[in-house]
Amino acid sequence: MLALSLVAVATAVQLLLWAAPGDPIDLLPNGEELREQLSVEWGLDQPIAVRVLSYLAQASTGNLGISLAYRPGMPVIDVLLQPALTSLGLLSGAVVLSLAWGTALAVWTRGQRRQSRRLVRVLSVAPVFLLAHIGVHGINELTFSLIEAGNIARPAWFALPAEASLVRSTLAIVLLAVGSGSLAEIHQEVEQALLTIRRSGFVDAARSRGEPTTLLIARHLLIPVASLAAARTGFLLGGLVILEKVLLINGAGAILWQAALLRDVPVALGITLFSAATVCLARLAADAVRIGLDPRLRGGSR
Amino acid sequence: MTYTARVGIAVLVAVVAVGLTSPLGAWQAALEVSPDIAGQGPSPAHWLGTDHLGRDVFARLQLAAGAFAGPGLLACAVALVLAVPLAAVTAYRGGVVGSATRFGFTSLAAIPRFVLVLLVLSIYGDSSVTLALVAGVSYVPMLGEAVFERIERLRGEEYVLASQAHGLSGARILWVHLVWAACGRLIGRHLLALFGFYLVLETTLSYIGGFGVQEPTPSWGNMLVFEWGRRSVFDPALLAPGLALWLTLAATGWAAEALGEVEHG
Repeated sequence: MLALSLVAVATAVQLLLWAAPGDPIDLLPNGEELREQLSVEWGLDQPIAVRVLSYLAQASTGNLGISLAYRPGMPVIDVLLQPALTSLGLLSGAVVLSLAWGTALAVWTRGQRRQSRRLVRVLSVAPVFLLAHIGVHGINELTFSLIEAGNIARPAWFALPAEASLVRSTLAIVLLAVGSGSLAEIHQEVEQALLTIRRSGFVDAARSRGEPTTLLIARHLLIPVASLAAARTGFLLGGLVILEKVLLINGAGAILWQAALLRDVPVALGITLFSAATVCLARLAADAVRIGLDPRLRGGSR
Repeated sequence: MTYTARVGIAVLVAVVAVGLTSPLGAWQAALEVSPDIAGQGPSPAHWLGTDHLGRDVFARLQLAAGAFAGPGLLACAVALVLAVPLAAVTAYRGGVVGSATRFGFTSLAAIPRFVLVLLVLSIYGDSSVTLALVAGVSYVPMLGEAVFERIERLRGEEYVLASQAHGLSGARILWVHLVWAACGRLIGRHLLALFGFYLVLETTLSYIGGFGVQEPTPSWGNMLVFEWGRRSVFDPALLAPGLALWLTLAATGWAAEALGEVEHG
């Protein structure tokens, strides 16, 4: 199923490419002279079905083509590998952090405290670029005034976001976990799930037997939380593209941006496949958690 | 309707109205460079002051609403036309075609929206129509999946069977009872979210630069960068675009409250 999903994604983006006016040769400075040779070499003279199949076949062996403009001549997979790991690190940090905050908030509000819920929503709706703008300049101004006053020496990471540092990546993870509505939506969904579980018969039954219910509720809450994590992964990846660009982090998102500016389609395609694969893997992991916790989903009998 | 929902709808209507009418106005104050009044603070003549080229900030703020209002509505129309009929018909019919459509929606939903936008910009180049189209298309999997799920769940309900037994046509049951009555609010919420997404997309692209609306045309995104470092952080000329963006986004969320529904089942 996972592989089929990826095949569908790759086919769709190839069709997108095929429907576009012009072809990649137009983007090369000396493309017209080499047109005949290149269209044979890149398979552009083949019908679309053959092109899709050959792209799929090559992509499955890790060959995503050659970068045209971002790093001309370099295999896309080499361009992507290191930055993709950086992005994955930030992404998993943000997923974990946003789930932890959202769950903590949901446990705290539990269907009450309407005003706090409103506040969380209003704060969280701000887009990540705006939060990054405020965060970077706020921290810089504060640090600068402390340095001016002689309270602290100039820290190694000053000034954001030029220097690579722990402060910068932490900022990226924190903002990603809050901004563009992330926190509010997770809070709302977890709260809803929590209320449903607390009202369920099996919790009442456990309570009437005098058993502690906290662990029971937590166990049942894990299932919706896992699905939520999978559902939010793609959304957070989109936000990460923006944050990497604003905070000058050299991840897959920043490369995608650059590739789009230079119209380096193979690199952009590679990153799209990479992000779709990440989302599919997250869904797979959520399914695994569900099957692990819910015995009804195991085995043939229902 | 809740109080916040009213406020949200009012703000959205006002912003969209200003945005749609803004291209019609004579926008000399917003676009013409006049060095002799550069960098002024708020005054009765210039409510939010002028930027460092002497352009009226309040006029630019209004003109910038035009950068997303029209294309945002276009994006909503694209998503509506592409997703709803396809999802509704295939879900109502069911069978292999239904499962295949469902699988297509789920698979394509795996591409993060912002990534898809950048991919399309790299293939097709940058224009506000392309941006609106791809924003609309990027919402199709999510909207389609939501509508599909609901209609698939409802099509076996007793009231649908009763309508069939009464001899109502399939088209009438599908469009009036299932799509309009049962999915209307759901679709409305998704379209509001899409409008908000387009607003974020447009301001983000022009904030970072390279894509989207570029100087001298104003956008709430590029206005934030343009005056940066030239005046105090708390100057109204710098606060206004950020606050306008924040408020409009919050308003899309509040307006969605008016489209809330009671959970059943």
